[in-house]
Amino acid sequence: MALMIAGLSKTYPNGVKALKNLSLSIGNGLFGLVGPNGAGKSSLMRTVATLQDPDCGSINLDGIDVLRQKDEVRRILGYLPQEFGVYPKISALDMLHHLAVMKGMTSSSERKATVDALLQQTNLWDVRKKALSTFSGGMKQRFGIAQALLGNPRLIIVDEPTAGLDPAERNRFLNLLSSLGSNRTVILSTHIVDDVRQLCPRMAIIASGELLLEGSPSDALAALNGKIWSKVVATDGELRTLETQLHVISTHLVGGQHEVRVYADSSPGGGFRPVDSGLEDVYFLNLSQQANGQLPN
Amino acid sequence: MALFLEFFTFELKYRFKSLSTYVYFVLWLTFSFLCVASESFGPIGSGNGKILLNSAYANTLDNVLAALFGIIVIAAIFGTSILRDFQRDTYQILFTQPISKFAYLGGRWAGSFLTTVFAFSGMMLGTFLGTFAPWADHTRIAPNHFWTYLQPFLSILVVQIFFVGSVFFAVAALSRKIFIVYLQGVALFMFYVIGVTVFSATRSLERFWSGIFDPIGLILFNDVTRYWTVIEKNALFVTWSPALVNGVFLYNRLLWIGVGVLSLVSVWALFPMSVEALTARSQSRRAAKAKEHELAEALPVRSLVAAGLPLVHQAFTSATTFAQYLSLSRLRLRNIFRDIPFWAIVALLVAFGINNGHFAGHVADQNVWPVTYLMVQAVEGSALLFLFIVAALYAAELLWRERDTHFDGIHDALPMRESTDWLSRLTAIVVVELILLAVAMLIGILMQTIGGYYHYELLQYFKELYVVTFPQVLTFILLALFIQTVVSNKFVGHAIVIGLFVLMPILFSFGWENTLYLIGQTPAYTYSDMNGYGHFVPALFWSITYWLAIMAVLGVVSIALARRGAEDSLRARIRLALRLAPRLAPIAIVFAVIAAGAGSWYFYNAHVLNEYLDSKARRDIQADYERKFKQYENFLPPKVTAVDAAINIYPDRRSFDGSVRITMQNKTNQPISQIHLTDQRQSASNVQFDRPFHLVSSAPRNIYSIYALDQPLAPGETITLTCNIGHQSHGFRDGNELPELAYNGTFFDSDFVPYIGYNRNIELDDPRRRREEHLPPLEEMAHRGDPLHSVNNVFFPFESDWITYHTVVSTSADQIALAPGYLQRQWQANGRHFYEYSMGSTHILDFFAYISARYQIRKETYRGPDGDVALEVYYDPAHTYDLDDMLASSRAGLDYYQRVYSPYQFSQFRILEFPRYRTFAQSFPNTVPYSEAIGFIERVRKPTDIDFTYFVTAHELGHQWWAHQLIGADVEGSNMLAESLAEYSALQVMAHKYGRDLMHRYLRHELDGYLRGRAGETRHEPPLALVQREPYVWYQKGGQILYTLADYIGEDKLNLALHNFLMQYRYANANNQADASPNRNDNPHPSTTLDGPYPDTRMLVDAIRAQTPPELQYLVDDGFNRIVLYDNKAVSATSQKTPDGKYKVTLEVQARKLQADGNGAETHVPLADYIEIGVFSGKKDEEKPLYLKKEKITEEHKTFVIVVDQPPTLAGIDPYNKLIDRNADDNMIDVTRQ
Repeated sequence: MALMIAGLSKTYPNGVKALKNLSLSIGNGLFGLVGPNGAGKSSLMRTVATLQDPDCGSINLDGIDVLRQKDEVRRILGYLPQEFGVYPKISALDMLHHLAVMKGMTSSSERKATVDALLQQTNLWDVRKKALSTFSGGMKQRFGIAQALLGNPRLIIVDEPTAGLDPAERNRFLNLLSSLGSNRTVILSTHIVDDVRQLCPRMAIIASGELLLEGSPSDALAALNGKIWSKVVATDGELRTLETQLHVISTHLVGGQHEVRVYADSSPGGGFRPVDSGLEDVYFLNLSQQANGQLPN
Repeated sequence: MALFLEFFTFELKYRFKSLSTYVYFVLWLTFSFLCVASESFGPIGSGNGKILLNSAYANTLDNVLAALFGIIVIAAIFGTSILRDFQRDTYQILFTQPISKFAYLGGRWAGSFLTTVFAFSGMMLGTFLGTFAPWADHTRIAPNHFWTYLQPFLSILVVQIFFVGSVFFAVAALSRKIFIVYLQGVALFMFYVIGVTVFSATRSLERFWSGIFDPIGLILFNDVTRYWTVIEKNALFVTWSPALVNGVFLYNRLLWIGVGVLSLVSVWALFPMSVEALTARSQSRRAAKAKEHELAEALPVRSLVAAGLPLVHQAFTSATTFAQYLSLSRLRLRNIFRDIPFWAIVALLVAFGINNGHFAGHVADQNVWPVTYLMVQAVEGSALLFLFIVAALYAAELLWRERDTHFDGIHDALPMRESTDWLSRLTAIVVVELILLAVAMLIGILMQTIGGYYHYELLQYFKELYVVTFPQVLTFILLALFIQTVVSNKFVGHAIVIGLFVLMPILFSFGWENTLYLIGQTPAYTYSDMNGYGHFVPALFWSITYWLAIMAVLGVVSIALARRGAEDSLRARIRLALRLAPRLAPIAIVFAVIAAGAGSWYFYNAHVLNEYLDSKARRDIQADYERKFKQYENFLPPKVTAVDAAINIYPDRRSFDGSVRITMQNKTNQPISQIHLTDQRQSASNVQFDRPFHLVSSAPRNIYSIYALDQPLAPGETITLTCNIGHQSHGFRDGNELPELAYNGTFFDSDFVPYIGYNRNIELDDPRRRREEHLPPLEEMAHRGDPLHSVNNVFFPFESDWITYHTVVSTSADQIALAPGYLQRQWQANGRHFYEYSMGSTHILDFFAYISARYQIRKETYRGPDGDVALEVYYDPAHTYDLDDMLASSRAGLDYYQRVYSPYQFSQFRILEFPRYRTFAQSFPNTVPYSEAIGFIERVRKPTDIDFTYFVTAHELGHQWWAHQLIGADVEGSNMLAESLAEYSALQVMAHKYGRDLMHRYLRHELDGYLRGRAGETRHEPPLALVQREPYVWYQKGGQILYTLADYIGEDKLNLALHNFLMQYRYANANNQADASPNRNDNPHPSTTLDGPYPDTRMLVDAIRAQTPPELQYLVDDGFNRIVLYDNKAVSATSQKTPDGKYKVTLEVQARKLQADGNGAETHVPLADYIEIGVFSGKKDEEKPLYLKKEKITEEHKTFVIVVDQPPTLAGIDPYNKLIDRNADDNMIDVTRQ
């Protein structure tokens, strides 16, 4: 399984450039896509999910031209959009059965087995006969996950799947995803960088429609080893001064004080101490470098 | 207050920034502009041609219609003002602020109110602009006065906006659901429209409560202005005066303003101003939901290890596609069926169906059998609007559902074809419509059963509902789906769909009558029990095929343009469409070919095989005829004295042919050298005379030909004309099929035989249409005594006096053919039925008809003092209900007429049923074609039901005397000699059977008919003795005047007067023609063949005067020579028990007498009249007289003291409405005990 994305560009009628000549290749397993809001993640995923066409570029999935042979893609696709609603007054069970039929599952016994298994997996078994419209946000999200996994899809695209899930369900879902990932392509978009670190052998960071980084999280982390320095500063004034002098990649509030993380080949001194790099540092560094007009490394 | 202003100005700013406000304004502006600027549009423009288009009356009516159609606009503005906060969830922010209820609700309401008033003020501007349209009819536009605009606007629309708006506002605020607001808007509109239809169907004369409770104003307006004459309509305002029709308008306005105020008070009292209360549907429900969630979240902890999913197999074959289609359809249907609004629609449909179904058997005080065609019409009529609403509503809902529920991200990425998805949407709507049709059918059957009619014709239900109606609904569904696909907003789509739906009839009335370009139209058709769908089938079939195929093409386009994925732009969708094109194009082409084929075939039939004439073109022909040939109107032709015709009817081809031999005689004292023929029907050919002649000129369509005789026809001399006549039907027409020709039920009359000379009946009579054609006002009829017109009779002026008649008519083997005359012989030849009829030497009017159908016959012999009469009814086998009634009426009529008038001149009387394409009965000599729609399905259930069949039969029989024995001169007044006297005759026959009490109920309808008729007069109302073309005068007024006269002077006296008049003047000009002389071959001396005068109403009035006592002579003058109206009223009535056990009634009455001119301007005239004073016991409508006496009343107010034996309940003046009274309701009053 390999998804080859080449030279994808998309400009919306309102002038927003959602994708700028984006190329990516995604193989089997989980692939994490991270980026800030409006980075073009959803545009990219919708394009792969056959829901919109780019202005130019091509997408190829194991010989299937995704942009032209949409129906072929849809047959092997499981898609969970970032936001979705449900029909009122239809139960989860009925809806999954319906979607199973839509996904070409002609054998009713297989359909029943799959739907039941998915309902169990997503912890919706007890409410399977309740109308979807009465579901809470988390339940609805789990229903979304269940439907995306219907029909043994070989290409799974999940857009912000863990939004709205409580920690236990999130863990369970991530487990489920990683168990699926070995023999298919799973594209996971998120802005929770930790999700990617836990799950994805490969990842990409995109912002403003451009690819900032592609690779494995561990490689990216290794590249930063020893280059991240941290210091707690007490006042806003001090922070402002640091920002002008050093390459600050992020600040966090810790007990009401700012913990500043900077990127530097050697110690910037003045109370900075070396810290272990995290994937967030990779993310923020790339974003800040893009904002400063530097090429990502 | 500041906060109130804040909300108020915010609302106004929001509204005036919004395009919709201006769209509404322009909508009303256009509507009212067209009401003035186009004569084919609006209730006034297309109605009476004398009413000013910008009068207060016209503006009031236009405003009432705007109030009706504006319900949705009012709902849209008021409903959304509050719902906006809930749709956009801004209420969370709003209601956590410290705002007062008054400021929030008041500000929103006041802003909406002002906006709506602004939107509807387009009505005033539109009317005003319309008066300046150069093409408008400026004879009907008065100088503009601001008050004639503002008064109706304030008292109708502003009140309406206040009331309806407040109700909607309250519902929106309390329900917080847009759908409920729209649904109640639609429900109010539907309830109202259907309620009004039902109310008018009952033809109730109730004018007080019906007006007060009318929430929109159509009935109210009718109640108030029902009897307004033209002058009043052009001058009066519908005012809030308590004196105007008992204050009905005032009370109505107060009532509905009160309802508006009540709504505002209740919304103020009940609207919760807290987020808590607004979000919760109800506390308990919320709690239950919370608990459920808790339970769901608190389930035992499961393993975090993901179990593998079972293996599945996917297959994408055509079976899968079908399974997808089924699953999608099922899902969509389930969505609809679980929708409360859908069940609300079903409930409304059932309610209206039951209601309309009930009235399928009731019209006025008349009861009819709820035969299937009436029942289907009733339930379909009530369901049709719902079917279209469902189509429009669900086309939008289903097309937008995925987007509205945000499920599109998942749905659109499913591996299915666009066509599968689209077909499932179509299927869901279609299934719903089929179910609704079945519901309508079940209601029909139920209501037939309740009505005691057990002859269920399921096939007829099926044909009408599923074969004829459903395809038209399907057309509309496909159109709605297409429009909703193309537009980018659901509500814009609704607006276009509704707009197109409303536009078609408007275009039609504008003269755009071609079925081929009126979207979804089919030509008008009528089902008849005798003839089924008959000749309408091909036109219906091809027009339905044509439109269905066109809509199917649009359907394919809709599939191609389907919204799928994140991009909705038309550019993106066209890109997708092009990708789908190779697969879809062949299907589209197939449908396009079908559409082109059906359209071409339709065009060939309607425009090539048959001449296509829209109504304007037909009027042009009439106007042209008048312009070119009216100059010959008074040209004296020879008169027809004998007709001998051989006619062959081919019912299966809707054709006939034959030849006619017409004998004419010069009954003038001048030689005649030219003979003119009018051939209105283009039915004559090969015209020959029995002497040398040549054609001088002929006109296009052969409508008028002039022949010159080489040797002029000397006075007294006869001449014979022979020609072929016939009519061949080819293919089908675009509507306007000849009703005369049917597969079963042919009925045509002497219209198809050339008319000698100029035929005045062809002239246009609507003043509006005459102005449009630049014709002068219709010529008045000649005055009585006019020498030229007095020697002609009013029915066939310058054409004939009396004729002898002989005919042979043939038809197909399974039918019976009839014509006036006695059957001489009948035979079969060449598989056809032949009949020979002859009147022998008996004179009849030049008025005959040919009828052919598959009949059953009921015969009996009437044995009267003057010989036997064969009574025969020829009827459709299904219509046996009223045969006894018809025969009973014929017997009773023969008894009465022979006793009081003269012997019946024929020895047979036949009633022949014909299809309900035309709804009348017509009296030919001894032969009465009688429509299946009137009389053949009547039932008399209650003693108070009016036996209309009995009445009509007696009326038509009466014509055998009044028309077929005595006919008046071609001058004003003469029409009443036939119609009023036949009407009077029938009223007496009726009264003898049913008693005088029931007759009063019937006469109330006659009175109402007269008063409404004069209110709609387009020219001027004549007194009865000078009537020209005013049916309401010669039927309703004439009947009432003569019946009352008989009541005042005595039935015997009046009958004696009629007998004397008849015996002196009947058969005028019958004895001076060739066939009357002993030796037919002699050419009699010219002086003995010269036509003398026919009688006119002067002779009738004189004959009546001779029998009228001096003190009642004024009644004769009032009745015949003047337009007299009374305004009698019972003011108060009290009763006291006297010591001797009797009751002393003190009755105060008011009496006024008015005389009107032809335009309706009234002047008071002094009273010295006998008017009945009565005291009654028992309930209203079942009252029994305790005292009834005609009192001479000379002053306006008078008090009577009357002693009666029994306890009185009612008392009054002219209690039985024997006099013509514009306000007939207030003549009786309850007696108060003291």
